[in-house]
Amino acid sequence: MIIDHPLLGPRDAAEFVILGDASLIDRPDWQAEDAAQQFHDYLHLRDNPAGEHRELWFHEQGDRSWLVVTRNTLTHEVLKVELARDVAVARGRDR
Amino acid sequence: MADVALEARLPLGGYAETFGSVSLAEVTGLTLVSAAVPNGGDAAFAVALAGGFGAARPATGGSTAGDRYGARILGMQPDQLFILFEPPDPDRAAETVSDALGPAAYVTDQSDGWAMLRIAGAGVRAALERLCMLDLDAAAFPEGRVTRTVMEHLSVVILRDGPDSFLLLTPRSSARSFLHAVEVSIANTAG
Repeated sequence: MIIDHPLLGPRDAAEFVILGDASLIDRPDWQAEDAAQQFHDYLHLRDNPAGEHRELWFHEQGDRSWLVVTRNTLTHEVLKVELARDVAVARGRDR
Repeated sequence: MADVALEARLPLGGYAETFGSVSLAEVTGLTLVSAAVPNGGDAAFAVALAGGFGAARPATGGSTAGDRYGARILGMQPDQLFILFEPPDPDRAAETVSDALGPAAYVTDQSDGWAMLRIAGAGVRAALERLCMLDLDAAAFPEGRVTRTVMEHLSVVILRDGPDSFLLLTPRSSARSFLHAVEVSIANTAG
């Protein structure tokens, strides 16, 4: 599998480590009223789609950046690669 | 207590060999310092780098030359750069950089953690293509391009510093295993 890194170009998947579902970016507010329930959902509830899936990948043997990779779990086709920082900033996080 | 004199040793003992059209030699006399850019400090860092080393900030995956200390600035990752240079005093390499950049960067001396090899010559691409997953064609990986990657399961920073010349930085602790892998690959492709 080849991941087309937004800064460095195409790289072999062997240079990366996968973390899991990209929803991990959306960490709940620990001060919310229902924080315990929100963290339960955040930690334990995952979609497990057969098809298009967004995942966090870490370029450990490269530029050490976190990426959001959209890929098809049935075909292994990589559809989109973004820097996780850009995704987080677009969602209103400060970095 | 007996007097003990400690002597500095090079990671690869000053290794230098030539195999047909390919030469492989340890690079000495250069020091490596990392510089991390504080969050939101990009503009101040650019000014400090221009003032301290006479260099522009490279993009991630690129490098630029400075006009002081024979410096080359390597864009390793977003917000982190390596500065490769000839230090006036090797024991004060990090201080040289922190004096040059001031508070615009967090600096760490990396020199003793790395072994540096230069592989050069007409057969260099053939020797490296069996180790390195990257496309090293001049169109895809031109002179000045730099990146971290994996060769023989070992972490390597590769910089193209000439049409047929590459600088390879590898962790000192596994440097002899890496050297062996490169030697074998050169022997396999030399002839």
